[in-house]
Amino acid sequence: MKQKKSIINIPVVLRMMGWLLMIEAAFMAVPLLTGIVYGEESSVKAFACSALITCGAGALMTFGIRPRDTDMHRREGLLLTASVWVFFSLFGMLPFLFDNALSSITDAFFEAMSGFTTTGASVITDVESASHSVLMWRAIMNWIGGMGIILFTLAVIPMLNHQGGIQLFNAEVTGITHDKLRPRISQTAKSLWLVYVLLTVLLTVLLWVGPMNAFDAVCHSFTTVSTGGYSTKNASIAWWNSDYVEIVITVFMFLGGINVALIYTALSGKVSALYKNGTVRWYVGIVLLFVAVCAAYQLYNGTFEKLSDIFTCIAAITSTGFSVANYDNWGPFVILLLMVLMFCGSCAGSTAGGAKIDRIIFLIKNTNNEFYRVLHPNSITTVRVNSKVVPNAIVMKVIAFLCIYLMLFVTGGIVLTALGLPSIDAMFASLTALSNIGLGSGITGPEGSFAVLPDAAKWVMSWYMLVGRLELFTVLIILTKGFWVK
Amino acid sequence: MKIVIAGAGEVGSHLAKLLSKENQDIIVIDNDESKLMNLDMYNLLTHVGSPTSFKTLRDADVAEADLYIAVTPFETRNVTSCAMAKSLGAKKTVARIDNYEFLRSENRTFFETHGVDFLIYPEFLAAEEMMTALEKTWVRNWFELCDGQLIVVGVKLRESAKLVGKKLKELYSLSSSLHISAIKHKYETVIPGGNDEICAGDIAYIATTKDYVDRLLELCGKEQLNVKRVMIMGGSRIAIQLARLAGDRYKIKIIESDLEKCHKLAEKLPDCNIVHGDARDIDILHDEGIEEHDAFIALTDSSETNILACLTAKEYGVKKTIAEVENIQFIAEAENLNIGKVINKKLLASSHIFQILLDSDSSNAKCLALADAEVAELVAKEDSRITRADVKDLHLSHDMTIAGLVRDGVGHLVQGNTRIQAGDHVVVFCLSGAIHKVEKLFN
Repeated sequence: MKQKKSIINIPVVLRMMGWLLMIEAAFMAVPLLTGIVYGEESSVKAFACSALITCGAGALMTFGIRPRDTDMHRREGLLLTASVWVFFSLFGMLPFLFDNALSSITDAFFEAMSGFTTTGASVITDVESASHSVLMWRAIMNWIGGMGIILFTLAVIPMLNHQGGIQLFNAEVTGITHDKLRPRISQTAKSLWLVYVLLTVLLTVLLWVGPMNAFDAVCHSFTTVSTGGYSTKNASIAWWNSDYVEIVITVFMFLGGINVALIYTALSGKVSALYKNGTVRWYVGIVLLFVAVCAAYQLYNGTFEKLSDIFTCIAAITSTGFSVANYDNWGPFVILLLMVLMFCGSCAGSTAGGAKIDRIIFLIKNTNNEFYRVLHPNSITTVRVNSKVVPNAIVMKVIAFLCIYLMLFVTGGIVLTALGLPSIDAMFASLTALSNIGLGSGITGPEGSFAVLPDAAKWVMSWYMLVGRLELFTVLIILTKGFWVK
Repeated sequence: MKIVIAGAGEVGSHLAKLLSKENQDIIVIDNDESKLMNLDMYNLLTHVGSPTSFKTLRDADVAEADLYIAVTPFETRNVTSCAMAKSLGAKKTVARIDNYEFLRSENRTFFETHGVDFLIYPEFLAAEEMMTALEKTWVRNWFELCDGQLIVVGVKLRESAKLVGKKLKELYSLSSSLHISAIKHKYETVIPGGNDEICAGDIAYIATTKDYVDRLLELCGKEQLNVKRVMIMGGSRIAIQLARLAGDRYKIKIIESDLEKCHKLAEKLPDCNIVHGDARDIDILHDEGIEEHDAFIALTDSSETNILACLTAKEYGVKKTIAEVENIQFIAEAENLNIGKVINKKLLASSHIFQILLDSDSSNAKCLALADAEVAELVAKEDSRITRADVKDLHLSHDMTIAGLVRDGVGHLVQGNTRIQAGDHVVVFCLSGAIHKVEKLFN
C-alpha cells in the first residue's frame, strides 16, 4: 500500500497559491497603468513595488516548491480556497500601505478583505483624496472577488482542469448545490466569467453615456456587477444626484443578485428559464414587498424620497451597499427591515452575499411541512424547489447553515458591543460583515465610517467577511480538529 | 471530444471517470439520480433522465456529441437510445449488447441503417480473452498485431526467469529483439529506464517479434501448458459464451449453485458437464476431480469468491486459473496473489471505447486496457508529429513509450534512432490518463 503521508498535502497547496499570487500581481498592473495615465508618481511606485513583491513571492512558491504528489483532494481544496482569500488580502493591502492611503496594517487588511469579499465597507475616510490608482485597485478587488478568485483561475489555468478543480469550485462558489454548465470545469468557469465580463462592459458603457466620466464608469461598473459597493466618491452614488445613474445601477445590482449560471442559460436563448425559476420569482417578490413596505411607512411618516427606497432596498438585498440617502433618518423600523433583507441575500450562485434566498425558501417550505406533519404524523412530505424534490440531506444542511449563520451573526454583534459599539450599530455591523453588504448604521453609517471602529473590531469584521463570503463551511471546517487528523 | 454516456452503471461510471481523466468532455445520463451523485465530484456533467427520451437527449446536447455510448443493462434500450441519438445528430454511436446474434456480419446492416455504429459485448470480449489465456497459458496478457508479427505480452516473472535481477541496459545489450515497455512492481506500473531492474514477482510487459516468442518463453523461465480439461465455477453469461467459443476444443465442466440455472445451462450447452453444487465446497471439487483439470475459471458475481476459489484450485495443483474480478481495486491484489489471469468486463469495454476514440475511422486498431495503463495500436498519419523526428528526439513524456511497429507486414522493435513513417502500425504503451497525448502525436 501507499506510504503513510501527512494528511494534508501542504506543498501542493503552496505551489498553487504561488500561481494565484502571480495572477494577483498581474491584476495589479491595471492600477499601475491607471497611475501612469494620470501621472501619479508615488502611486505608480507603490503599485510597482507591490506587484513585484507579490509576483516574487508567487514565483518563489511555485518554482521553489516541487511537491512529490500533485494530487489535490478534498482537504487540500478547502484549505487552498480558504487561505487564498487571506493571502490575496495580505498582498492586496500592500498598495494601500505603500501609497499612504492607509497607515495601519489593520486598516489596510480590513480594506483589502472588504474589497475581495465584495463587502465594500471602507475605512478610507476621504476616498476623493485617494489617488486614481488606489480607487481603481479597490474596484478591481471587488470585481475579482465578486465572481471568485478560484473561479477565475479555473477559467485561465488549464492545470486545474481535473478532479481537484471540482473541489475548489464547490468550496468557493456560493449556493447549496452547484450547477455545472458544461462538462469540464474550466468551460463552466469560462462561461460564468463570460457573462460577468459582458455585464461589466455593458454597464460601463451605460454609465459612461450618462453623467459619469470614463474612470468613474469603469470603477462603478466593477463594483456594481460584483455587488461589492466601493465607490470613488465620499457620498457614494448620491454624489451624481442623477436619476439615470441610480436607475441603471439599480438594474445591474439586481442582475448581480441573480444566479450567474441562470443568466448564462437565458443569454444562450432560453429566456424562459429566468422567469420560470422559483428562486428568481421569490427574489423579485421579496424586493417588491420590502420596497412597498418601506415606501408606505415613509409616506406615512413624510420622509418619502422617490427612488432612494428602491435603490437602498436593492443595495441591501444584493449586498452591494451603495448608498444614495441617509437611511439612518428613516427610523429604526426601516433599519430593521434592511437587516432582514441583508440577512436574506440574493439567489445562490450569484455574486451577492447573505444567507441566500434559496436557503430561506427551503427553510420556509420545510417549516410548512413540519406544521403539516403535526396534524398528519404519518404523511410523507417533500421539499420541492423548481419542481424538483430536494433530498433530505440537503434540507438538513441548509438548516444547519442557517443556524450557524444566525449564531455567528448574534455572537459577532455581542463581541462588537463588548468592543464599545452601540447595540443596534454592533448588530448591523456584524451582519454587514457576515453578509458582505458594506452598509453601516449609526456610527458606521452614511454619516459615520468604519474607520472609527477599534482595531479589534476591524479584525473581527475582516474574519466575518471571509467566513460569510465562503459560506461558512469552507472556512469553519478548517478550524475543526477532524480536518487535521484523520 | 464530446462524449455522452447513457447509463451510470458499473461500465458507464468506469468509462466516465476514465474518459474525464483523458480530458474529454463527458456528459452522463441516467434515470437514477443517486447513481449520478457519486459521479458528480468528477470533472464531468451529469443529467437525470431516461436515455430513451428525446427531451433528455436534447437537453444533454447529443446533437453536438462526437460519440454516444449507451451502456444501460438493457440491450434493446441501448440500441433504441443509439438510434435516437444518431437521429438527433450524434456523430458515432456505441451500444452495449448481450446477444451474439447481433455481432454477426449478416446483421451489421440492420444496425448501420438504424444508426448504431459500434457494438460492445463485454461478455463476449471476456470469453475471447479467456480463450487466448487458455491457449497461451504462460502469459497474463497477450496483445498481437498483424497476425502476430508484433506481440506484447504481460508476464509475471519468478526467481527462475533469466530476466530477473538484470538491469535493462544489460538485457538490451544481450539481445535486441525484446523491448521491456513497462514493469508492474507491487502496486505501481512504471515505464522503465535503462538503469531499472526487474525483480522477482514483477509483471513485465514485453514487446517482441514473431520469431522470438519461443526464446522469450525460455528467458521468462515459463513453459507452455496444453490445456484439455477446464472447470468453470459459476454458470454466468460469460461462461456460456466461453463454452460456445471453445466448442469441442476443451472438455468443460461447469459448477453452478442455482438448480434452475443448471437446467438452463444443460439445455443450452449439451457438450458440457453441468454440476449442481457450490464450488466453494471442497468435497464437491474433489468429487468432480479438480486435480485432473488443467484450468480453473471462477466466474461468479462475487470477486472475492472468485479470487479465493482460484487460490484453492491452485492448492489442488491446477496449473492455470482465471478469476473474474469486477472490483478494479482488487485487480492489483489478485495479480500479486498467484492467480494466473484476471478478467474484468469494465476494462474490456473501455479497451473497446479507447479503440474507437483513437481511430474512429477504421475498426482494425486494437487497444488493451489494463488496470492502470493502456496498450494501443495506432497508425501513424501523414505528417503527424510522431513522424517528424527520430524517437529519441521526440521528447515523449514519461508516461508513454513506443514498443514496436509493423511496417509492410513485418514487425520491428523500436530503438532510439528509429524514425516512424506514415502508415506504420505502432504499438504504444501508456499509463492511465495519457492516451489523449498519444492521440495528439499521431493525428
